[in-house]
Amino acid sequence: MTLVWLGRISIYLACFAALGGIGAQVLTLRRGTPSRALLWSVVSLVGVASAFVVMEFAFVTHNFSLAYVAENNATFTPLLYSLTGVWSALEGSILLWSLVLGGLLSAVVVRYRREASDPVVVWATLVMFVVAAFFLLVMAGPADPFVHNPAHVLQGQGPNALLQDNILVAIHPPLLYTGFVGFTVPFAFAIAMLATGRVHERWPLEQRHWTVLAWGALSVGIVLGSWWSYQVLGWGGFWGWDPVENAALLPWLTATAYIHSVVVQDRRGLFRVWNLSLAVATFALTILGTFFTRSGVLQSVHAFASSTLGPVLISFFFVTVGLGVALIAWRGDALRTATGVEHPLSREGLFVANNIVFVGFAIVVLLGTVFPLLYQAINGVQVTVGTPYFAAIAGPAGIFLLALMAVAPVVPWRSVSGATTWSRIRTTAWVSLATTVVLLLAGVHHWPVLVAVFLAVAAAGAATRTLVGVVQAARQRGDLWSAWRAPSTAGMVVHLGVVLLAIGIVVSTSYTSRSEVTLASGQRTVVGGQTIGFGGFAQVSNALEHQTQLVVTVGGRTIRPAITTFNGRSSQSVGTPAIDSNLLRDVYVTFDAIGQNSSVSGAQVQTGVAAGSVVLGVTVEPLLAWLWIGGLFIGFGSALSMGRRRHRDEVGQ
Amino acid sequence: MKRSIALGALATLLVVGALSWFLLTRQPISASSVQSPLLGKVAPAVSGAELGGGTFSLAAHRGDVVVVNFWSSWCEPCKQEAPNLSTFAWQQRAHKVFVIGVVFNDTVASAETFARYYGSLYPSVIDAQGAIAFHYGVTSPPTTFVINAKGIVAATLVGPTTVAQLTQVVNRVAQ
Repeated sequence: MTLVWLGRISIYLACFAALGGIGAQVLTLRRGTPSRALLWSVVSLVGVASAFVVMEFAFVTHNFSLAYVAENNATFTPLLYSLTGVWSALEGSILLWSLVLGGLLSAVVVRYRREASDPVVVWATLVMFVVAAFFLLVMAGPADPFVHNPAHVLQGQGPNALLQDNILVAIHPPLLYTGFVGFTVPFAFAIAMLATGRVHERWPLEQRHWTVLAWGALSVGIVLGSWWSYQVLGWGGFWGWDPVENAALLPWLTATAYIHSVVVQDRRGLFRVWNLSLAVATFALTILGTFFTRSGVLQSVHAFASSTLGPVLISFFFVTVGLGVALIAWRGDALRTATGVEHPLSREGLFVANNIVFVGFAIVVLLGTVFPLLYQAINGVQVTVGTPYFAAIAGPAGIFLLALMAVAPVVPWRSVSGATTWSRIRTTAWVSLATTVVLLLAGVHHWPVLVAVFLAVAAAGAATRTLVGVVQAARQRGDLWSAWRAPSTAGMVVHLGVVLLAIGIVVSTSYTSRSEVTLASGQRTVVGGQTIGFGGFAQVSNALEHQTQLVVTVGGRTIRPAITTFNGRSSQSVGTPAIDSNLLRDVYVTFDAIGQNSSVSGAQVQTGVAAGSVVLGVTVEPLLAWLWIGGLFIGFGSALSMGRRRHRDEVGQ
Repeated sequence: MKRSIALGALATLLVVGALSWFLLTRQPISASSVQSPLLGKVAPAVSGAELGGGTFSLAAHRGDVVVVNFWSSWCEPCKQEAPNLSTFAWQQRAHKVFVIGVVFNDTVASAETFARYYGSLYPSVIDAQGAIAFHYGVTSPPTTFVINAKGIVAATLVGPTTVAQLTQVVNRVAQ
C-alpha cells in the first residue's frame, strides 16, 4: 500500500511540475519574466524518476500489492527480467516513455540555459512541457501504473514468456523508446521556429543534431528488434511487416528524409517549410505508431498489451498534426525562399529524389498498415496485407536509394558537370562492374543480387572516397584525429553501415536454403553445404525453465537447439532455435520433432521416424551476419555525429 | 505560391482529420457471437493428442470454463487471433479458465510451425480426421466455443476473437 502512494505521489509531483513549467514558459513569453524552465524540468524529472525507481523496487522485491507487478512478475522471475519487467506491459511502457522524455527535456533546458529567454528556446521547452504533461496525465488517469491489488498473491503471473527469454528485452525497448521520444525535440523546435518565424539561424542545425540522436537510437533499436525475433521466433526470418514493425519504420523513414533534406537547408537555404513539415510528421507518426501498438485495432504478433488508450492517443495525434499544419499555413509563405533547385542532377536535386523515395515509401507503408481496416469497413471482410505488397515496393525503393548513395555524395552542389562527376565515380564504377562480372562468372545469376551488389559496391566507393578526402584534409592540417569530427564522417560511416545491411538482406533472403533432416544419435549428414551431426540429448533445468537440448554439430562447432518449457504457465512448450553464425553464413537449427516411442516433454512425435532419432529444421542463410554488423556501423556513425564539427560554410548569423 | 501552401495545409488537415476520425471509430477487431444449435447443449467431446506431445480431454476440465478454438495454419484470420488467444490464456491461467485449440484440416508439421511462430501459450488438440470439428459443426476456422463449468456450450464466436471479447464472454459465462 505504501508503494502505491509513493508511486502515485511521484507521478502527481511530476505532473504538477510539468504543468508548472507550461505556466512559467507562457509567462516568460508574455511578460518577459526570467525563465524558470530549469527548476520545473528538474522537479518533473525527479518526480517521474522516483516513480520509476518505486516500480523497479516493487518488481525486484516481488511486491504483489501492486496489480501491475502481480500481472507481470513472479517470485521465480530472475533479477534481470524483474528489472526489464517494468516495461513489459502498457502502464510501465508509458512510465519508461515519460522518464526518457523527462530526461530529454532537462537535457534541452540545460544545453540552452544561457539562451533560456530566447523565444525559440522558450517555445521549444514549452512544447516539450506540454508533451510531457500529456503522458504524465495519462499515467495519473487512464493508465495508472500504481493500482493497488487487494488479493493476496503468492507467486505472481510472471512476464509474457517471450519477454523473459532473451537479454535483448533489456536493450531493444529502451532504445526504441529513446528514438520515439527523441523526435519530440525536433518537433518542439519546429513549432518554436514556426511560432517565432526564425528559421534562418543556427536552430535548424541544432534540430538536426537532436534528430540524429533519436534516429541513431531508433535505427539500432529496430535492428536489435530484428535480431531478437531472428533468435527467438524460430522461423529464421528477421522482418515480417507486422503493424508494430511498420509503426517503428514510419517515423524512421520520415526522419531519414529530414536528416538529408535539412542539409540542403544548411547549405543552400532551401526546403524550409518542407523540413518543418517533416519534423512535425515524424513526431506525429510516433504517436500514431503508439496508437497502432496499444489500441488493439490492428492485430500483430506484438499483442503484449492492448488498452483503452486508443481514443486519447488518436486525439493527441490529430491535435499535433493540426497545430503543425495551422502554423505552417499561417507562417509558411514568410519562410519560403525565392530560389529553388537549379538542376535536378545537382546535389540538392538528388536530395529531393531521396526525399521523394523516403516519404513515398512511408506513405506506402502507412497505407498497407491501415488498408485492412479500410477494407473491412467497406466490405465487412477481414484481409491481411502481407509481405508481397511491402516487398514489391521495398525492393525497387532500396535499389533506387543505393543508386542515390552511389552518386549523391560525389555530385557537386548547384551546378552539374558531367565530366567532374564521372571523374569522381569512374574508379568505383569500374570496381563495381568488375565485382559484378566476377560474381556472374562465379555462377550468381540472380539479377536482383547482381544489381544490388553493383550499386552497393558503388555506394561504398562513394562513401570511402569522401572519407579518404576527409582523412587527407585532416593530415594536411596535421591533426589526424580531427577526421572523426569532420562534417561528412558520421554520415558516410552510416552509409557504409547501410551498404553492409543491404548486402546482408539481399543475399541472405535470395539464397536461403531450408530443409528438414532426420538424424539418429551419432549420425551426420550434409545439408546446404554444411555438415550437420547429432550427438544426443541434454536436459537443463533452472528456476525459470526446463530445456530439452539437442547436441548438434555444425562443421566442428556444437550448438544446442532446444524445446523449452517455462515455469508458471500451462505445459505448452516453445522451440528455442540455435544458430551457428560466422561472417559467411548462418546455420539456423530448430528442434522440429522426435521419433516414435520417445518421450521428450513438449516435443512433437513424428511417425515413421525411428525411436531415438530427431527431426531438425536446418536453414542456411549466407552473409546474414552482415545485417547486424551494418547495424553496428549505423549506431557508431550516429554516435560520431554527436561530436560533429560544423561545415565551414554552413549558415550562422 | 501563397495559395499553394494554404491549400496544401487544408488538404493535409482534411486527410489527417478523416484518418483520425476513421481510426477513432474503429472497434478492436472481434468475432460475431452467433446462435449455434449447440447453445445450451452438453459440449461434444474434445480429446486426443496435443501438438508437441501430451493428450487432452475436455471431460477432465469439468469445473473450468473452457474456451475451445478451432483453427488451421492456412487460415489468415487465425493468424490475427493467435496472439490474442495466447494473451488471454496467459491472463486467465490462474482463474479456472482453460484455452484449448483444435487444429483441423491441416498437417501436423505446418500446425507445429504456426504454433511456434506465434509463440502459442495454449495447447492444441490434433483433430486428424476432422471428427471433433464435425461434431461441433465447424466448417471454417476460426470458430470459438465457450463451455461453462458444467460442460454446457454457453457461447459461439465466429471469426477472429480478441482478448477484450473473450474476457467479456467468459465473465458472463462464469457468473
